[in-house]
Amino acid sequence: MIVFDGLSKWYGDIAAVSDLSLRVPPGEVYALLGANGAGKTTALRCLATLLAPTGGTASVAGFDIRSDPLDVRRNLGFLAASMGLYQRLTPRELLHYFGGLQGIPDDQRGARVEDMISFFDLTSFADRLCGKLSTGQRQRVSIARAILHDPPALVLDEPTLGLDLLSGDVIYRFIDAVRARGRAVLFSTHQMSEVELLADRVGIIAGGRLVAEGTIEEILTQSGESNLAKAFLQIVREAA
Amino acid sequence: MNLSNVRKVFQKEIRETLRDRRTLLIMLVLPVFLYPALMVLVQQLVLIGRRSLEEQPVSVSVSGASEPAFAYLAGDSALKVARAAAPDPALLETGGADAVVRFSPADSASQSQAVLVYFDASRDRSRRAREVVTDRLEQWGDSVLANRLRAQGLPRSFATPLAVADTSVASAERLGGYALGRFLPPLLIIMTLLGAFFPAIDLTAGEKERGTLETLLTTPVPAREIVAGKFLTVCATAMTTALLNMVSMLLTFQSGVFQLTHATDLNFSIPLATGGLVILLMLPLAVFFAAIALGIAVRAQSFKEAQNHLTPMQFATIVPMYLPMIPGISLSYPVALVPIGGIAVLFRELMGGSVAAGPAVVAVGAMIVYAVLALRFAAKMFGREEVLFGGASGSKEAAGFGERVKAWRGSVQEVPRPSESLALVGLVGLLYFYLGIRLQITGLEQGLFAAQWLLLGLPAVLFATLGPYRTRATLALRAPAPRSLLAAALIMVGGVPVGWGLGWLQGLFLDIPEDFLKMFQQLLTADTPGRFAWLILLIAITPAICEELVFRGVLLQGLSRELSMQKAVIGSALVFAAFHLSFETVIRFLPTFWLGLLMAYVVWHTRSLFASMLMHFINNATAVVLVTTTGLQAHIFGPTGAPRWIALAISAVCLVSGLYLLPRRRADGFGHDPTPAGAPAAAS
Repeated sequence: MIVFDGLSKWYGDIAAVSDLSLRVPPGEVYALLGANGAGKTTALRCLATLLAPTGGTASVAGFDIRSDPLDVRRNLGFLAASMGLYQRLTPRELLHYFGGLQGIPDDQRGARVEDMISFFDLTSFADRLCGKLSTGQRQRVSIARAILHDPPALVLDEPTLGLDLLSGDVIYRFIDAVRARGRAVLFSTHQMSEVELLADRVGIIAGGRLVAEGTIEEILTQSGESNLAKAFLQIVREAA
Repeated sequence: MNLSNVRKVFQKEIRETLRDRRTLLIMLVLPVFLYPALMVLVQQLVLIGRRSLEEQPVSVSVSGASEPAFAYLAGDSALKVARAAAPDPALLETGGADAVVRFSPADSASQSQAVLVYFDASRDRSRRAREVVTDRLEQWGDSVLANRLRAQGLPRSFATPLAVADTSVASAERLGGYALGRFLPPLLIIMTLLGAFFPAIDLTAGEKERGTLETLLTTPVPAREIVAGKFLTVCATAMTTALLNMVSMLLTFQSGVFQLTHATDLNFSIPLATGGLVILLMLPLAVFFAAIALGIAVRAQSFKEAQNHLTPMQFATIVPMYLPMIPGISLSYPVALVPIGGIAVLFRELMGGSVAAGPAVVAVGAMIVYAVLALRFAAKMFGREEVLFGGASGSKEAAGFGERVKAWRGSVQEVPRPSESLALVGLVGLLYFYLGIRLQITGLEQGLFAAQWLLLGLPAVLFATLGPYRTRATLALRAPAPRSLLAAALIMVGGVPVGWGLGWLQGLFLDIPEDFLKMFQQLLTADTPGRFAWLILLIAITPAICEELVFRGVLLQGLSRELSMQKAVIGSALVFAAFHLSFETVIRFLPTFWLGLLMAYVVWHTRSLFASMLMHFINNATAVVLVTTTGLQAHIFGPTGAPRWIALAISAVCLVSGLYLLPRRRADGFGHDPTPAGAPAAAS
């Protein structure tokens, strides 16, 4: 379960996120939409305890980001837009490293890493330096890294950014799989097609505020538009 | 702290570092291969250059020499001698001669003949010509003397009643240690710095640029454990680099290449115990560099930006690093306290084989303290999210300089930001350096007067009035309560003798230059009432207004906007003392810092610059009165120059009374709003 409870983040007199409240229950995929600079990444970073909120709070699996930041991190898989792979480590070394930091016991880590390598089909390049991998290969390694510790909640910041259709499809299938396993998934994106394909519910954020929320049908009804892209533009323009 | 996490981070960072070609190049390849090759190459070039100088004869133009003298010089194969009718030093400019020798007519009474050798000290061949000619002329003079003695039937020893000779008892090893001690410490220090430089950037700004830091910080590992792992990595690379450099260099020297080519007879070896000690002492140095480099580099958002941020650190290291090479510098207590410099001089003393235990302990202790402070700085930097993620998008860095100035002019602020206040002080410092000194040299006392008003007072007032600030708040122009003034006066009356005491204590470690004291006494001595009035205006009233406007006005008010009382007061006092240090002498630093502390503390609490103006006046006027009234000095100072106990006791009573009377204010500011106008309550 992911919960935002009136979360705000100010930089001086600029409100990056303002009074954001939303819930993502287990087994649901929630898409967070917004223009560049709308506050999506800031909100996700606050949830991942990378940034301290100015007001309000949020929680992951019942752990509050203010009082239990380490427990939040233990229960959250976070995939940043930048992927965050070490160029001079191989995928296998990288997974071992993060497995260690996530607290997976030494006697279980090796097996878990091999499971991930097998699940995401990394075997052919598991011992090649990450700096020499293609974008699609790197994204698969990144996702393997994010769910290595099998967290109940997942946050994916623009997971298909820069990927071709084939690589994107791997991500879609992965998200479907974790939903089926009862994980709460919150992802941000600019791709309306993947929202339509994956999301159970959608939240639209503009100027740091959540200006619309609901299923795709509810969003379309609310805006009076025929497709999600038009509905998004309509809602964001109205909020401006 | 979970050491298991620290170990994991350390192991991973070391693995990545060892796969980084740039770091490997600096850490391994440079010292092991390139460095010895470079040393041998330089040494060979020097030998070749020296041989070419020694093998080719130097050309000398000689005028006024007797036939025998000319023949003596002409017969030397190292010289190519040409006779000239008159000396022509212009030949040195045109390259017609390497030296020009003029024999004056012999004095028949003294039977002595003056010989002048013209040469060009900026040319190697000319310097060599002077060396050879002078040597040959001395030999010729000796032979003339010998003939004269023989003619008189006197022994040769008659002309040398005292045969002076010297011989050094230093062994070749010790001389080698002495020579090594001069240039090895700077090299070790720069290599330690370079060893920390690239890994520190790669592990912080590099991680940010690649987006890995964000991922790393989402693991359930506290930031301090991540910092510790990274810090240990940078420290290890810095130490390894320095160690390999030292070993590689010693092996190069001990390979015998210098003896083989007869470049030197010195024995460049360092006893094992000394080498071990030097390596041990490099540890606090490596810790210091690693922590500072990490703390600075983590503020940058990219590798390139981090390099720019760290460049000033490299420059700041250069000056203290070369302390061991400055003639006459020894490991005294003040030198031991110089960051980096103290340990560098200690290295030299160790290699030279003579170390004073007291200053050595102080040097090591001070370096450990600096290293701990640097570590705290690094840990603090990692704990700040704006440092890790660069703050809000669309930040100030994105705006051009013109836009930023426009935005600054258009803003409405109670008082300046600390950076803006410091910018004014920096500007005033530069003005004083470039114009103030010139004014004082040309205009003497009137120049000092003009410099104070035009280069300190006026810029502060212009800054406060023309900037987007409230002038009265920026200059703390608030009428003080009578009680505040009384407290300020008592605090200064009590504080002045303590300042003298500090100056006296400082004098136990630092020599007070006699010239400075004389100049100071001359400046402050008033022999007529008119002169006394002028001195009060020049020395007491003028700085009390002009310096206060800058340091307790703009600077303290600006610092107080964002810093705690302690930091603002100490920071302003340090800048105040440094300002006096720059243009006068080191001995005034501690007393001036003390006075700066007192005045800033009083202004912070009374919120009135007039209080510190009164204090500054009391301090400076006291100096004028004391120097002029010599009888009064005897009552206050003892024979050693230290203030008498009774004077200190009275001053302590005044100080305590003043502090008791001083109205206190809460730490909620001068009525300044620390947040920008329009900021929401939640953000403040």
